[in-house]
Amino acid sequence: MSSKPKSKLLKKDTRSDLITYAMVLVAFAVVEIIQATGSMTSLMRGLLVPLCMYSILAVSLNLVVGILGDLSLGHAGFMCVGAYASSIFSVCTRETIENPWIRFPIALLIGGICAAIFGILIGIPVLRLKGDYLAIVTLAFGEIIKNILCSIYVGYDSKGIHMSFESESSLGMEMDGKLIINGPLGINGTPTDSNFIVGIVLLLITLFVVLNFIHSRAGRAVMSLRDNRIAAESVGINVTKYKLIAFSLSAFFAGIAGVLYSHNLNVLAATSKNFGYNMSIMILVFVVLGGIGNIRGSIIAACVLTALPEVLRDLKDYRMLMYAIVLIVMMIITSSPKLVSFREKYGLRQFIKTKMANRWTKEVQ
Amino acid sequence: MALLEAENLSITFGGLKAVDNFNVKIEKGTLYGLIGPNGAGKTTVFNLLTGVYKPTEGKATLDGTVITGKRTIDINKAGIARTFQNIRLFSQMSVIDNVKVGLHNIYKYSTASGIFKLPSYFKKEAEMEKRAMELLDVFDLGSERDYLSCNLPYGKQRKLEIARALATEPKLLLLDEPAAGMNPNETAELMDTIRFVRDKFDMTILLIEHDMRLVAGICEELTVLNFGQVLCQGKTSEVLQDPKVITAYLGE
Repeated sequence: MSSKPKSKLLKKDTRSDLITYAMVLVAFAVVEIIQATGSMTSLMRGLLVPLCMYSILAVSLNLVVGILGDLSLGHAGFMCVGAYASSIFSVCTRETIENPWIRFPIALLIGGICAAIFGILIGIPVLRLKGDYLAIVTLAFGEIIKNILCSIYVGYDSKGIHMSFESESSLGMEMDGKLIINGPLGINGTPTDSNFIVGIVLLLITLFVVLNFIHSRAGRAVMSLRDNRIAAESVGINVTKYKLIAFSLSAFFAGIAGVLYSHNLNVLAATSKNFGYNMSIMILVFVVLGGIGNIRGSIIAACVLTALPEVLRDLKDYRMLMYAIVLIVMMIITSSPKLVSFREKYGLRQFIKTKMANRWTKEVQ
Repeated sequence: MALLEAENLSITFGGLKAVDNFNVKIEKGTLYGLIGPNGAGKTTVFNLLTGVYKPTEGKATLDGTVITGKRTIDINKAGIARTFQNIRLFSQMSVIDNVKVGLHNIYKYSTASGIFKLPSYFKKEAEMEKRAMELLDVFDLGSERDYLSCNLPYGKQRKLEIARALATEPKLLLLDEPAAGMNPNETAELMDTIRFVRDKFDMTILLIEHDMRLVAGICEELTVLNFGQVLCQGKTSEVLQDPKVITAYLGE
């Protein structure tokens, strides 16, 4: 990494960011071309929005795990908050705001901000903990959120909002009352506003904010906390403030991913499949496999690991076996000393190549 | 008035008086040494001065303002910066970013203007970059600016730590065993660096050190600690001749 020469045109960070944006745009273009030629299976088409969603989740979790250096296992909880908050809004305003171009951005903001508020509320007590303890508490948070939303009944009528934890009938609503959250059956009738283009735009916005944040003054402060909290304090970095900023920003984008999820399907229910700890672990796997602290890597890992089980569907029962093998192989590739040194050698070759190119351009001039 | 004044600074851990009635007056521009055998409480004094520990008794004032009881970050803002006995760099960050973290409270812009790259971001970042490079060049680290700080050789890591501390524009610089683990050549170079920092930045420096050559070579005044208590205080040449000090170090 450090042996790479400085480009005269762009700083290293900027260049790396541009590669990431370009990668997303190229992927978008390729998918659009495949769709235009009509050779995309309906299975893959159904995966497009989830791919964007998982990428956003992986990028936002990487902000906590890779940049802040804290292990959070409750990311699906924030996603769940964002999904429910935005769905409630969209269901309630479906008739009043008919234009999805107005309704959906508001839903996004509501989902993101609600998740961020939860991020701050959870963050204030929890970020005093470190390592395993933080992981346990965030894991519990994710489960609690999911279980509460799974058992709550909410409806409204002319008298106002009714809430119950027992059943629909115990709400005691008038005849014309409207049920919003139907316990384990969740929210019905969310407008399907999200599509692949919206997903890509949201992914690009997430990348823009997260990457710029990392390269700014605040991002450096957050990274200094990760590397050495005591030293960071000694040079005047406010620990609580920057931990909370990073944590809530991460929660915000998890909420955005939740909005994307809930507006992709007509029915939203909090099950352990979509918002449980399995989901949190899966997002963590994306982050770890893509490289902790490596934003571009998390997107690639999220896409590969989401698409893989679907691509391998033909293998039937051996599908999950292949998935496990891919995981192990990728782990070895990223961490085996021999392969790492090979990559470094490869990096050096590139270094020489660019040096030659520079000399050549100089001679031409 | 002295820049740093400590009056009866004491701290007890359970029944142990780690530092007992520590008094010191450090005038502006002095190179002050704090020495003593292992476990004498030298680093504890540093931790008391920087707010890592709260003293059970006594107070310290920096340039007239009381700093005891304040948080570490506020004490840093008041003007005390330090380095650590075991180097504490931001190891996964580049050399220049380490210094930029030190400049955190000097060049400020909001988090939002950083995210949306508003004009203040570019302006302040450019100023920060310039100042960071000045500091790195002072310590001859300019050519390593993009290295990860953990890849620097040991001596340069020490220098980078001093550069980072200086970036916070302190009035008083605390160095905790800057020569630990250095060979004689590196130590000699370090002595020049410390003198140079004092002259160039007009800095007051308080340092802990075991290397007597370094202490005798650069410190103007000394305090000797033993078992948490001040054993002897005064001009370096006089203190080092004191029979009590020699006994504390070498035994009877």
